Amino acid sequence: MKDVVIELKNFNSRYGKQEVLQNISLTFPHQTITAIIGPSGCGKTTLLRSINRSAELESGYSCTGDILLSGASMFNMNAYSVRRQVGMVFQTPVALPLSIRQNVLFAPRYYGLRQRALQDDLVENCLRKVALWEEVKDRLHKPASQLSGGQKQRLAIARVLAVKPRVLLLDEPCSSLDPASTERVEETIRGLAAELCIVIVTHNLAQARRLANETAFMLNGQLIETGPTENIFSSPKHEKTRDFVTGLFG
Amino acid sequence: MMKPRHLLDRLFILSLWIAALIVITILAAIILYLFSKGSSFISLDFILDRPQGSPLGSAGGVMPAIMGTIWLVLLALLAAGFPALFTAIYLNEYGSQRKSSRIMNILLQSMASVPSIITGLFIYALCVVRLGWGISLLAGSMALALMIFPVLVVSIREALRSVDSQTRLAAAALGVSKTYSLRRIILPQAIPGILAAFLLAMGYAAGATAPIMVTAAAIVAPAPQSLFQPVMALPYHLYILFNEHVSMQQAYATALVLLILLLSINALALYLRSWQERKQAG
Repeated sequence: MKDVVIELKNFNSRYGKQEVLQNISLTFPHQTITAIIGPSGCGKTTLLRSINRSAELESGYSCTGDILLSGASMFNMNAYSVRRQVGMVFQTPVALPLSIRQNVLFAPRYYGLRQRALQDDLVENCLRKVALWEEVKDRLHKPASQLSGGQKQRLAIARVLAVKPRVLLLDEPCSSLDPASTERVEETIRGLAAELCIVIVTHNLAQARRLANETAFMLNGQLIETGPTENIFSSPKHEKTRDFVTGLFG
Repeated sequence: MMKPRHLLDRLFILSLWIAALIVITILAAIILYLFSKGSSFISLDFILDRPQGSPLGSAGGVMPAIMGTIWLVLLALLAAGFPALFTAIYLNEYGSQRKSSRIMNILLQSMASVPSIITGLFIYALCVVRLGWGISLLAGSMALALMIFPVLVVSIREALRSVDSQTRLAAAALGVSKTYSLRRIILPQAIPGILAAFLLAMGYAAGATAPIMVTAAAIVAPAPQSLFQPVMALPYHLYILFNEHVSMQQAYATALVLLILLLSINALALYLRSWQERKQAG
């Protein structure tokens, strides 16, 4: 059994009066890719943003229950430090309006990385991990806005990796990408699973099946079923899960 | 035969065009009229000379008024610029959901709707009389600063708001502080828009007459040498030339100088705004 990195305990959250997540208890182990699937509006994104504590930045958000990060409640930690350890990549590929190099160095510089040689190493290291190095090594000082959508998304992952997180959350990272770019990003994610706890929210059931070791199915803010990906897809215990994975509703 | 709803569509678009055309025609007419009436009196001498003749202003030029207006506007921007920048940053980046910012919004709107002559009279009572500054460059620029402050806040906030929210989120999710992403990401993106806001406010201040009438403006004064002396200003000079029947020719020429000044400031502001848009699209 691999170490549990994130553990949600009876977690509820709401925006204003509207309940978004109800009584979620779920664990995410180290070196494992967990996919969260479910129809639109079932709370997948809110779940991710709660784990990264960036949901709190929005007005009206509140939550109860607990989320443990390596065994300690993340609500007793500094929110900035949680966000650093639990990196998040969003649906829309975002290149910060800086050069490619400065995109990777954006957060490390904030945390005090000043030495040029260390910066160079980090940039190369992170860009290699997302298989972007060969494509951009000759134009590190060019604006990152010139990259394609798929490249931007891999850059976004590199930007998160640069602060050495323990967890990588991906919110539908491929939904705006073409098939070739999607494949690239998926390879990157698979490669990163060796060193990280990865959680990916996806609309694409085939992608969940290709990538994830574990899969969790959510519906209307509740966790319906969770287990090894193969079991969820081939022998779901819950009727709703079966209907969803066979495409009866979406 | 066109279907009725297609016809209606066409008619609607046509009326939009006509409405726009009317306004543009009036604007063009003003500019052309001023050019035709004023351009023959404008010369280098007119711009560089001081008012001469009897009654004073019937000959000579407008240099002290140009300098007076420039100084009034720059000092007003200096006084209102930083407070407005910080207020806008607070409203947009930090306090957008807080009660304090709702109250501040209401205050700003009330401030923007205060007639400028009342702003002028307030500064007259406070600075000119109470603080004993007298009718002066400093008092006039304070009145203008008070007038442009709400406008500045609103347009700077607009510039900040137009920075992509996904970018903010991506930065915040990395665990960096708000101040850091403001400095590295948001402000650099918004700078052209902020400069445009400054320029538009300058144009607004340069054309305003009421606030300086009672606080700064003199019928004749040399180019500004001290903060505590009255100054000439283009719009007020124009008002005197016209109202006292000094010289219609000089009035047209002065109006044209003022108009060219304002149009260039606005053109520069529009250019900066489109630069910000391109920067963000790119």
